[in-house]
Amino acid sequence: MSCNPAIGGQAKGQMVREIDALGGEMAVNTDVTAIQFRLLNESRGPAVQAPRAQCDKKAYQLRLKHKLELQDNLQIFQATVTGLIYKHDRVVGCRTNLDVEFLGRTVIITTGTFLRALMHVGQNKNKGGRMGDFSAKTLSGSLIEAGIELCRLKTGTPPRLLGRSICFSGLQEQKGDREPTLFAFHDTRDQGDLFHVEQPGETLLGWRPGVAQTSCWMTYTTAESEQIVRSNLHLSAMYSGEISGIGPRYCPSIEDKFVRFADKPRHLLFLEPEGRNTNEYYVNGLSTSLPFDVQVQLVHSIPGLEQAIILRPAYAVEYDFAQPTQLFPSLESRKMEGLFFAGQINGTSGYEEAAAQGLVAGVNAVLKVRGESPMVIGRHEGYIGVLLDDLTSKGTIEPYRMFTSRAEHRLLLNHGSAEGRLMGHSRAMKLLPESRLNRIEQKFSAVKKWSDFLEDTSGGNGSLGDAVRRGEAPARLPAEFQNETKEVREETLYRVKYRGYLLREQRQIERFNDLERIRIPDGINYLAVSSLRKESAQKLQALRPATLAAASRISGVNPSDITILMILIETGHRTPSGPWSSPGSASVV
Amino acid sequence: MLGTTDTIAALATPVGTAAIAVVRASGPAVATLCRAIFGKLPEVRTVTRADYRDAAGTLVDDVVFTYFVAPNSYTGEDTVEISCHGNPYIAQRILEDLLARGCRPADPGEFTKRAFLNGRMDLSQAEAVMDLIRARSERALAAANQQLRGSLGRHMQGLTDRLVEVLAQIEAYIDFPEEDLPAENRQGALRALEELLQATRRLIATAHYGAVLRDGIRTVIVGEPNAGKSSLLNRLVGHERALVSAEPGTTRDYLEECVVVGAHFLRLVDTAGLNPLATALEERGIKKTLEQAAQADLFLWVIDSTGPLPTLPSALEKIMSPANTIAIYNKVDLDQAGAGRRQERFRAVAVSALTGDGIDKLRLAIQNLTEILRTEVGEELIALNARHAHALEAALERLTDARELLRLSNSIELISNHLRCALESFGEIAGRVDNERVLDQLFARFCIGK
Repeated sequence: MSCNPAIGGQAKGQMVREIDALGGEMAVNTDVTAIQFRLLNESRGPAVQAPRAQCDKKAYQLRLKHKLELQDNLQIFQATVTGLIYKHDRVVGCRTNLDVEFLGRTVIITTGTFLRALMHVGQNKNKGGRMGDFSAKTLSGSLIEAGIELCRLKTGTPPRLLGRSICFSGLQEQKGDREPTLFAFHDTRDQGDLFHVEQPGETLLGWRPGVAQTSCWMTYTTAESEQIVRSNLHLSAMYSGEISGIGPRYCPSIEDKFVRFADKPRHLLFLEPEGRNTNEYYVNGLSTSLPFDVQVQLVHSIPGLEQAIILRPAYAVEYDFAQPTQLFPSLESRKMEGLFFAGQINGTSGYEEAAAQGLVAGVNAVLKVRGESPMVIGRHEGYIGVLLDDLTSKGTIEPYRMFTSRAEHRLLLNHGSAEGRLMGHSRAMKLLPESRLNRIEQKFSAVKKWSDFLEDTSGGNGSLGDAVRRGEAPARLPAEFQNETKEVREETLYRVKYRGYLLREQRQIERFNDLERIRIPDGINYLAVSSLRKESAQKLQALRPATLAAASRISGVNPSDITILMILIETGHRTPSGPWSSPGSASVV
Repeated sequence: MLGTTDTIAALATPVGTAAIAVVRASGPAVATLCRAIFGKLPEVRTVTRADYRDAAGTLVDDVVFTYFVAPNSYTGEDTVEISCHGNPYIAQRILEDLLARGCRPADPGEFTKRAFLNGRMDLSQAEAVMDLIRARSERALAAANQQLRGSLGRHMQGLTDRLVEVLAQIEAYIDFPEEDLPAENRQGALRALEELLQATRRLIATAHYGAVLRDGIRTVIVGEPNAGKSSLLNRLVGHERALVSAEPGTTRDYLEECVVVGAHFLRLVDTAGLNPLATALEERGIKKTLEQAAQADLFLWVIDSTGPLPTLPSALEKIMSPANTIAIYNKVDLDQAGAGRRQERFRAVAVSALTGDGIDKLRLAIQNLTEILRTEVGEELIALNARHAHALEAALERLTDARELLRLSNSIELISNHLRCALESFGEIAGRVDNERVLDQLFARFCIGK
């Protein structure tokens, strides 16, 4: 974990649960290595609540590594990849710095922030994607050789401090939730598949999820901090023009915060422990590329940190990414067959976004080898669907992070329903054991049964469902319902509470589904379709949407263009020897 | 390949005045619609005459309609074609009624598209269909753009910007609960929403007022019994609409007709004669005349030129002015023409409703007056079409829901849901708003940076 060892939060938390519903490991790994759990927006409606956890950085890494080592049919090897091996228009493997060749029918690239990475601390530049690690220098050349265009992005990380040098006494404490909201759906799992990483040191054994949580602490920048930043702006890598990559707006450096929000007198900072067996603290909100000596002054200007010792300085990092519009929605490259991309190389930021892509790329690489059609998750099925569609159909200009406001159907994508929403995919792709699939099915049929029951049963003034919507139900619900699992109860009440809204969203989806279902054949040459407006043809040619729905989301493509595409596709269906029989045919009409 | 779920409706004939206008609807709800409107499901592919009554039961026009059953129709779906009298106002009323009954306004070329997708056209026609759709949508686009470049566009831009602002403020609390955001400003949001509601209502209202362009200039024909008001109406409309007779006082209620004069069209209202010695029945008619007059944009005062100059009731006298009234000396074909005294207050034209003499001059006089009327109404005229009004009404509904929730609860997830739907409705007029714009606004306003 290069940055803050936190998992979840708004939209990301929902995505972690979706990963769990698709057989990914992130949720369980978080549950058993988290040192603090918080349910965000707890005071608000369940539709916008999201779990978040602070993990033990090393435990998280070690447990996941251990899990991979024990995985059947998986061989692991660690080395720096220097280039890809191509044969005709296909990737056939990769080569390491020791000139070992690994051959395969598909290759997935997940370069994180390491591709031609450059770290900045003030005017000081070091090659590397993370402090203490290397930079992947030659792989970029190999991608460019395949015709893949690369651009630069920038991100940053704050300084790490020594805990015993921090004076916590005057700071506001932020404790974890007494009852943790876990990420994994433990209710549908076989018992006993959790295991702990035992470590020496301050805590001898692993821990049950949610016990012995640690606290975070809040502090603020001061007028003096602002003064220090302002008078040293010219030394900041970002403000002296050293960095060309574009950084994320939602994670600005402290320089940006003072400059762009000059009317805000102080900025909130969180001091977050990095683990149980370390005394290192992460200063959330203090990302910077100021020189080291200025960072020391800046840290000392903050209440509680007057005497703090910096263990590792803050830095900004620049790296290569490939605009994800060069990918199919399966995450396979349009330029090079068999080559898949996942994570920050696609312009995203965040562990959750990366994990989701890794899972999808993995599934689709296997399907590719088997010669089957790819798994594509719809925007209405999950945040993962929103993520993949946004990336591959619109691309990004800043590190892309998921927000709930990116989803059209936020109310349908609550975290508790992830298994139900993605059941079609997890069953079809055999991503979960049969026993769990059956339990998921039972769970959601219980949810359905109870929601129907509440709507159909009189509860005095209207149905019990009406009582739930008025917020006065709990005591009146039957005892059998109270005996159901927490998951079934919560999901049932969710569906009842938002019933009208969910129905409306469902209807919208059905209306749009026609377009969502119609796939646009790969080989189409938009520029040769005379009926399309030139501007639309160019955009479609560049972005190559996979479905008519994706095409309709491209800005500037209007409904008549969609109609024309629909007719083209229909034309292809009616004549077996039509324009689509040979993919790649240049002229269409 | 496509199960069409909705029923679409549109004018099938060009906007403007012809002998007849055709409104067409296609889709699964057509049979239900026919039963609701005409009270019966007519024989297939047979022309049937019926009264068209809108959802409120008001008679709109005397129409003929033809019902087609899938797959034997132009689109391959259940279809109804309604032919009404050829004036834009009536056709528009029928279309609006169909929309009110749940139809969706058809996209440009959508009937043809459905025809193609349902296999009603062969492959060789595909290219022609595409070109047609492109041409039609470009024409529609050009027309829409013209409006959007004008005041409608400016208004929509303003509304959309304000809505995005409110939405961004609410979204910030959903997506960034851990940020050091300023305290939620519910009063501020309520105020903003209230302004937005008013602006939307105003826009809808301007549309109704500005609909002079679309619904016509309300023109009331007044005059003494047997001055020839109904004959004049018939002459202007070009066919026998009003029941005319030599018997004075034939028109006891009032009649409405539409006629295009120059760039505008007039909604002509024929009224009961203003008889100073009225019977009780006529009294009622006169009362109606005065009600009609109160809403009029334009008066045509018909004077029998063979008789003495009549006096106007004082209620009318007050609202009629040289800017909105034309005096018409009728019956110039008769021998005694000109015997009556002339009035000096209003511009005057001499005509014979019977022979048509002087009607062209009358048209010109009306045209001159309507031009003045237009500038008086102001340049902020917005001609909302049925689609636009439909979208704005939908937005209004969701904005109202959002305001109620904001007042009574703090369910920001639901408030946001309503606001997003409203934004989508705005988008149907001025172009879709990308999610990205809400985020742009959010990051510009709040310092997000945990």
